Amino acid sequence: MRDFLEKMMLIDRRWIYLAIGLAVIIPAIKSFHVPVAVSPEVRKVYEFVDDAKPGEYIFLCFDYNPSTMAEMNPMAYAILNQAFNKDLKVILVTLDQFGAGMVEEIATRVAANHKKVLGEDYCFLGYRPYPAIVILAMGIDFRVPFPADYYGTPLDSMSVMQGIKNFYDVKGVIEITGGSTADFWIIYGNGRYDFPLALGLTGVMSADYYQYLQSGQIFGIIPGVKGAAEYETLVGFPGEGMAQMPYQVIAHIVILLFIIISNVAYFASRKKKGKLGGGV
Amino acid sequence: MKVFLVLIVSCWLTDIWLFASEVPFDSVTVEPPSMAGEVLVRDKPNDTGGTLIIQWAISADDTAAGAGIDGYMVYRSKNVDGPYKLIRVLPSGSISFEDTGLDDGQAYYYRISSVKDQLESQIVAGGPAIPSGQWYHTKRTPILVLMILFCITAVVFIVKAKGGYTFYVRPIAGIDAVDEAIGRATEMGRPILYVPGLGTAADVATIAAFTILGRVARKVAEYNTRVICPNYDPVVMTVCQEVVKGAYSSVGKPDMYEPKDVFFITQDQFPYTAAVNGIILREKPATNFYMGMFYAESLVLAETGFIAGSIQIAGTDQLIQIPFFVCACDYVLMGEELYAASAYLSKEPQQLGTLKAQDWGKVVVVLLIIIGTVFSTVGWSWFSALFDIG
Amino acid sequence: MTTGQLILNGIAAFLTLCIFSFLYKDNPFYKFAERLVAGVATGYWTILLYHTNFTDKVIEPIFINGQYHYIIPAVLGIMMWTRFSRKWSWISRYPIAFYIGIGSGVSITVYLYTYLFKQLQATISTPLTLDLAGLNVLIIVIAVLSALIYFFFSSAHKGIFNVASRFGIYVIMIGFGAGFGLTVMGRVALLVQRIIFLRDYIVALFGG
Repeated sequence: MRDFLEKMMLIDRRWIYLAIGLAVIIPAIKSFHVPVAVSPEVRKVYEFVDDAKPGEYIFLCFDYNPSTMAEMNPMAYAILNQAFNKDLKVILVTLDQFGAGMVEEIATRVAANHKKVLGEDYCFLGYRPYPAIVILAMGIDFRVPFPADYYGTPLDSMSVMQGIKNFYDVKGVIEITGGSTADFWIIYGNGRYDFPLALGLTGVMSADYYQYLQSGQIFGIIPGVKGAAEYETLVGFPGEGMAQMPYQVIAHIVILLFIIISNVAYFASRKKKGKLGGGV
Repeated sequence: MKVFLVLIVSCWLTDIWLFASEVPFDSVTVEPPSMAGEVLVRDKPNDTGGTLIIQWAISADDTAAGAGIDGYMVYRSKNVDGPYKLIRVLPSGSISFEDTGLDDGQAYYYRISSVKDQLESQIVAGGPAIPSGQWYHTKRTPILVLMILFCITAVVFIVKAKGGYTFYVRPIAGIDAVDEAIGRATEMGRPILYVPGLGTAADVATIAAFTILGRVARKVAEYNTRVICPNYDPVVMTVCQEVVKGAYSSVGKPDMYEPKDVFFITQDQFPYTAAVNGIILREKPATNFYMGMFYAESLVLAETGFIAGSIQIAGTDQLIQIPFFVCACDYVLMGEELYAASAYLSKEPQQLGTLKAQDWGKVVVVLLIIIGTVFSTVGWSWFSALFDIG
Repeated sequence: MTTGQLILNGIAAFLTLCIFSFLYKDNPFYKFAERLVAGVATGYWTILLYHTNFTDKVIEPIFINGQYHYIIPAVLGIMMWTRFSRKWSWISRYPIAFYIGIGSGVSITVYLYTYLFKQLQATISTPLTLDLAGLNVLIIVIAVLSALIYFFFSSAHKGIFNVASRFGIYVIMIGFGAGFGLTVMGRVALLVQRIIFLRDYIVALFGG
């Protein structure tokens, strides 16, 4: 047993990669259902959108790129589906340089499913560099950084943008991001213009943003793919988030096993060294 | 003429139909709800402009004792005589409304009516009011006061430091390990790797990294060791070259400086990471320093260094990345420790003075938290309300 | 899946496997995929900047719309390019000074508001009570105070100060642990998305 534990301490990391790789193939062959409990911070985002009346405006900012789309796409699809289901008017923007193409694809696909028309029911403003400056400028008027939308259509010529000037004309902002733009939205968006803000974040980032939930600077958080699965449960739209859950369960079990074994091995080896030290 | 006749007939028929459908023969007269009270329109204070606040006294029917209403209709016009456009229907119980997206400098007039069962009350007029933006946010005066106090404190400490006063900075484990790590590299005859992160030359963490590089390079020059410094940012590379060159000159060995050891790789995150990984595996440095701003590459670099068997010292203010460095490095300067290390090593009056002022800032915050929590617990909420400056 | 989609997804599947091959060790397939992504990203970013910055903020306003005040930032931008000349690089300090001045002015107030005032208010506005909510408040207050004490550099960590600072470092480590756990979930999500993609591709290729 002790030899085994010592071997585990020196295990080649490639065996760990292989073990996780093989483990996540299991649900790919035979999937299973994972019940998802909804947390209050995710429910708040859902209720915020759900409480909006048909025709009300909601501002969605999808600031992510292909490197984080595994976690972000499920949130984006779920929220957009919910907003269109509720007949809300949607203003979309991206502040990630590699995000524009992806956001356009998501918006076009979901809008087509709900028979929503670009320029009448929603608009996609596109991308502009330097997020802080863009957010500050949008607080004055969306037309300052975006005189025209992603497709070059002037905002003033769209029916959906008539009478809509800045953040004060929308119910709130939901930011889905895999990068530092979340800070910009809190500092320059909520801090400067004081509008309701919620965040959809990658798992890596989530822990750092709960302080803003407690202080009321944001009203909700969708943390990582688990948060996305919770949101999908609430919307009744099982998508990629729910599909990922069986894989997550299996992978977490394998990782936990490695953590437990290596910790036991670590403490066992310390004990052994201690005994040897005492004897010398 | 034909069209006119058709219109008259259709209107007459419509009237009959409406009358027949809405008012039965034995109906009682439906009274409109009582109107809202006085309407007050004013510019929204402390904003960027384009917003007016409309407030009104509640309708007599909009009370628990009253007959109840469905809501309030808000109309707006640029002229006192109209035409007035319905801009919002608000639920019963509403007493104010913020009208946004208006033109600054333009006068606006408003009319409010209460409504029940599609019957509107008499209107109440309000205005005119002119929206405008304010240059100064009066509620945020505490920020100005705090900023001035902090600046004065920092300047006082900087002046004191320039005058030769020595400030105490507590020992930080990572700093003490620097000399030891350089000594180890000298004994092993292997180089030292210094990675200044992915930040720009304007980032505080990168500036701190320059100071620590200066210290490392001086020791390296003294011990005749070699320092390799791969860069992500061309401007950072230029500064690093100057710092290392200066360090060699300061110990009287300018000829030993090798400009090729401080070089630019690429400004793409993962190709840069791959290149640094390659250097770690090929050159097998005895000690790796990761100082500055790091993102997802932190664990990849630190893990490669761990596999190569190097002593590793990291420092970053990117909180998310610190756990990865903690896992794979021997010493880690966390957050502000990086700035403190920089001040400690450089002994520059500006850095020491600012560090001292920051410490005093922390003392103030600690006191405010203790006092504020006690006050809130005994029910004196006015104290925490002082910080509500939104 | 159409033949075109099959080919495009085939390229994506091949590149995914190229990147995964690094888990075994560095190899030419990984290097090829890595350089490809770097090249594509740089090219895309350059063109995007041209259209979203240069065309929109320089060419159209100045040369088409006649908004000549845009010349001022354009000239400041051109001054930045003097960094490449040893002789003229001093000129670039002026736009940098302008940029830092504006950046600091805009940031300082909102940073203090966001990170200090709002956080401070949230920490002190809830009373300590003899229930679970009160315990929550107590934990938050003690954790904040001890973490602040850990980052106090002007005096040695001795006596009660040492106890508080040691507690502070444990609090910080717990925070890091939470971050680490969520990171595992995030990284697994990235792997799983690629596994699902590869599975779907194999099914499309060979039939389910």
